[in-house]
Amino acid sequence: MSTAPRLRDSLAVQGRVLHALLLREMLTRYGRHNIGFLWLFVEPMLFTLGVAALWTAAKAYHGSDLPIVAFALTGYSSVLLWRNMPGRCIGALWSNLSLLYHRNIRVLDIYAARVLLEFGGATMSFAGLSVLFIALGWIDPPRNILEVVGGWLLIAWFGAALAITLGALSHQSELVDKLWHPASYLIFPLSGAAFLVDALPSAAQEYVLLIPMVHGTEIVREGYFGSRIHAHYDLGYVLPFCLALTFVALFAAQWTARRVVPE
Amino acid sequence: MIRLSDVRKVYRTRSGDNVVLDGVGFELAMGERLGVLGRNGAGKSTMVRLISGAERPSAGRVERQMSVSWPLAFGGAFQPTLSGVDNIRFISRIYAQDFERNLAFVADFSELGGYLREPVRSYSSGMRARLAFAISMIIEFDCFLIDEIGAVGDARFHDRCNHELFGKRGDRAMVLISHDPGYLRDHCNRFALLHGGRLALFDEFDEAYDRFREAIGLAGAPAIDRAAARDRAALIEVAQHRALADERFRMAVREGDWRRDARDWAAAEARYAAALALHPYQRSYWVQLGHVAKEGGQFARAELAYRTACAMGEPAADVAEHLAFVVARRGDDPAAWPIHPYRKGVAPLQVPGAPDVEALARLLWHGTAPDEVEAAALLRASPTCDALAAAMVRDPRFGDRGSDRVSVDWSAHGEIVRVLALGHLDPDAADTVLASVAGGEPAWPSIRDAGAFRDWPATQGALSE
Repeated sequence: MSTAPRLRDSLAVQGRVLHALLLREMLTRYGRHNIGFLWLFVEPMLFTLGVAALWTAAKAYHGSDLPIVAFALTGYSSVLLWRNMPGRCIGALWSNLSLLYHRNIRVLDIYAARVLLEFGGATMSFAGLSVLFIALGWIDPPRNILEVVGGWLLIAWFGAALAITLGALSHQSELVDKLWHPASYLIFPLSGAAFLVDALPSAAQEYVLLIPMVHGTEIVREGYFGSRIHAHYDLGYVLPFCLALTFVALFAAQWTARRVVPE
Repeated sequence: MIRLSDVRKVYRTRSGDNVVLDGVGFELAMGERLGVLGRNGAGKSTMVRLISGAERPSAGRVERQMSVSWPLAFGGAFQPTLSGVDNIRFISRIYAQDFERNLAFVADFSELGGYLREPVRSYSSGMRARLAFAISMIIEFDCFLIDEIGAVGDARFHDRCNHELFGKRGDRAMVLISHDPGYLRDHCNRFALLHGGRLALFDEFDEAYDRFREAIGLAGAPAIDRAAARDRAALIEVAQHRALADERFRMAVREGDWRRDARDWAAAEARYAAALALHPYQRSYWVQLGHVAKEGGQFARAELAYRTACAMGEPAADVAEHLAFVVARRGDDPAAWPIHPYRKGVAPLQVPGAPDVEALARLLWHGTAPDEVEAAALLRASPTCDALAAAMVRDPRFGDRGSDRVSVDWSAHGEIVRVLALGHLDPDAADTVLASVAGGEPAWPSIRDAGAFRDWPATQGALSE
């Protein structure tokens, strides 16, 4: 401990630990039965498909002339991305306390593994359904794939920082778990999944744009639909927001790591 | 080298801060094996977790200049929903080890066979211990932390563990915790006592153990729930559990075990007797006491102990042979004096043992206790507590001397007097009577006036004579 290890060695250890945790997580969560770890992205796919079907059937109003399937795909996938990461990180430490006996595994690693897994699942689901819908001719290919990726990563960043913050705080107070469920349902309709900011009255736009994931969703949609919509977002707001939240997340994880008592 | 400097650990609880470690410091070098003594809850496991790095100190430093294991034989370091194989795979990945080689080693050492492919939660505790230990051995650490390794598993498994640890890895540093100080004595070369948040270091086991004894001796008797022992049968039943929960009892019998292993029969007998004075109805150590008394040639005391063990419910078949031997050595015919088999039911119909003789002597004979020869004779002749009490009432030493005040140690015998003479009263009323006796009231008159031995026909008959 006193001799400073080289960065390359540390990175190797970090990679090993995350790799082992990821595989372990997939195994404990999905097991080897039926389709096994395919559930990782089949489950969010089913969610998105269901919502797309419901919205289509209900001819949900969304304030544009976009096909409703495309609207649901971009909107609901974004929700899954930022909502599932905190859901999986809250309480994650309790079920993994014994892992802390392996000194290379740190509290942050346990959250990082779950965040990565959720990111992978949501991304595969989004990409898989996009390819499927495009192949079926239901939607057009994205106008600007890189912009879609950028928006997607922005939502993931926000989701990851939120997940680690809430996960670390949930180890100290079970209130976090209790409040997250209603909060996530209440934020869902405000998150930009079910509307375009452009369709809102300008007085409402100002407030809605305070919610960080709205920006990411707008970017994803702009990447997807190009000039067919008029996207509203402000990187000057959302990037500093995510950066600050990341510091909060790291601080919270460190704070919890100091207090955690293994079994 | 591992160095702890001024380590402090405080847990926040609802009832304020709980200081577990308060300025603990030591250094441990390769080849040193530190055995840590301490009472339950002294913070031994906390200290091990701090050394392992699983937990951080509230203040102070833990420096490790060598690789340190997780606490060995600790089952929690693996995932119960995964199979043994998957757990080995996980550990191999974390520590960058060759999985196939590790699997072969664990399969060989743990002897779990096909169970390795089953989820760990389906294992018995012994199987878990074997898996945990085998997995712990696949990583070659410089320092091993060993927290209660002797708790599970059979003797052969322990031998193999000891060979792996102290044979093959005898050159490593170790920190050992055990409820059995003898285990630490046999395997460590440095010793420590953790008490009151402080760690005192010793080079010699005896020194450390003496301090440990003091620490336990200073502790009072554990809080006893008297309501749990309403009658003699219940008292016998809870005595087994109470005794083993009492650190003073465990320490005395442990010392008895050591003396027995050293074939110092008289000293062993004294230690077992000291333990049983704390919990007179604990049956299994009456058997041990009988064995060491027999080996030491104290056949009357051995007979007394064996009969007492049976009276408290020790299976007669396990004792009969030994009892027959000591009765024969005393020059009597074993067939004429068989064991009175353990009987459930009300107190007067139960079989008496040495503690009952002693308690009744304090009550009825003004504190003049019979010697072991007489006590053994009383037990031979008394198939029931009622018969014993009646015989003792008919003895000339029994007298209705109303003014007599007997100094009686009511701590252990008071409870026995209560379930024998005052079994018809509810516990609160009986406690009031006993308290007045302890406060200086004449013993027998007070208890007689409270209706002593109400449902004991033979004793009532003897009293009315």
